[in-house]
Amino acid sequence: MRARYNSSVTPVSQSTRLKVLFFGRLKDLIGRAEDSVNSTDASTIEQLFALYAARNPELAKYRPSLVASRNQEFAAWDTPLHPGDEVAFLPPVSGG
Amino acid sequence: MTTSSHNDICQLVREPIDMPTLVREVRAPEDGAIVTFDGFVRNQSHNRPTLYLDYEAYESMALAKMREIAAQLHEKFAIHLVAIVHRLGRLEIGETSVFIAVSAPHRAAAFDACRVAIDTLKRTVPIWKKEYFEDGAVWADGELPPAPAATPRAKPAS
Repeated sequence: MRARYNSSVTPVSQSTRLKVLFFGRLKDLIGRAEDSVNSTDASTIEQLFALYAARNPELAKYRPSLVASRNQEFAAWDTPLHPGDEVAFLPPVSGG
Repeated sequence: MTTSSHNDICQLVREPIDMPTLVREVRAPEDGAIVTFDGFVRNQSHNRPTLYLDYEAYESMALAKMREIAAQLHEKFAIHLVAIVHRLGRLEIGETSVFIAVSAPHRAAAFDACRVAIDTLKRTVPIWKKEYFEDGAVWADGELPPAPAATPRAKPAS
């Protein structure tokens, strides 16, 4: 996983930002699928979510029914974030 | 993370799933059975007539999770090859959204592995469907993937 970032042409790992992805009903609510913030704005996934919930109070009510991922792995809400990380907020999945 | 070292097939596609080709791909002379699962679009949801569905995925993570499922099947069951393909985009009633094929020397392992594959996919692969009805659209109720509750803290030095 990590090797892919290091070898990419525009290395995400050298970014000073956090990439943030929204899916399903969250994408509809936020109005976009992808965003980025300065990595200094949030040191954990929980803090990153709080940034968006502050701007969009409706989002807060979805918190109990979401999971988060960091760099394509499910991650706990207190997971520390680093520059270049990709964080996604995932509603209950409904594939199949 | 487990990754498959077998010639398994894990794909997200935007065209109709070519089921006969996938079955041929997992079939080999040393096998004695293939079990397939064909999941397709139902014409109603909770007794509301469905017009069509629209699937989206967190594609990079979904593929990684599908490969993990395939790898786990090899660890648990005496199987040969696995194909897991999910379609994205707009799907009409009756169209296949997910197809799984598992080959094995003997049928029991193929049945068991195929069942675990679809059950695990529905619980852990980041794919979502929006259901379109005459009077609007909703994101389907889904399952919350199991995620780590909290990062274990290092014990304070004593």
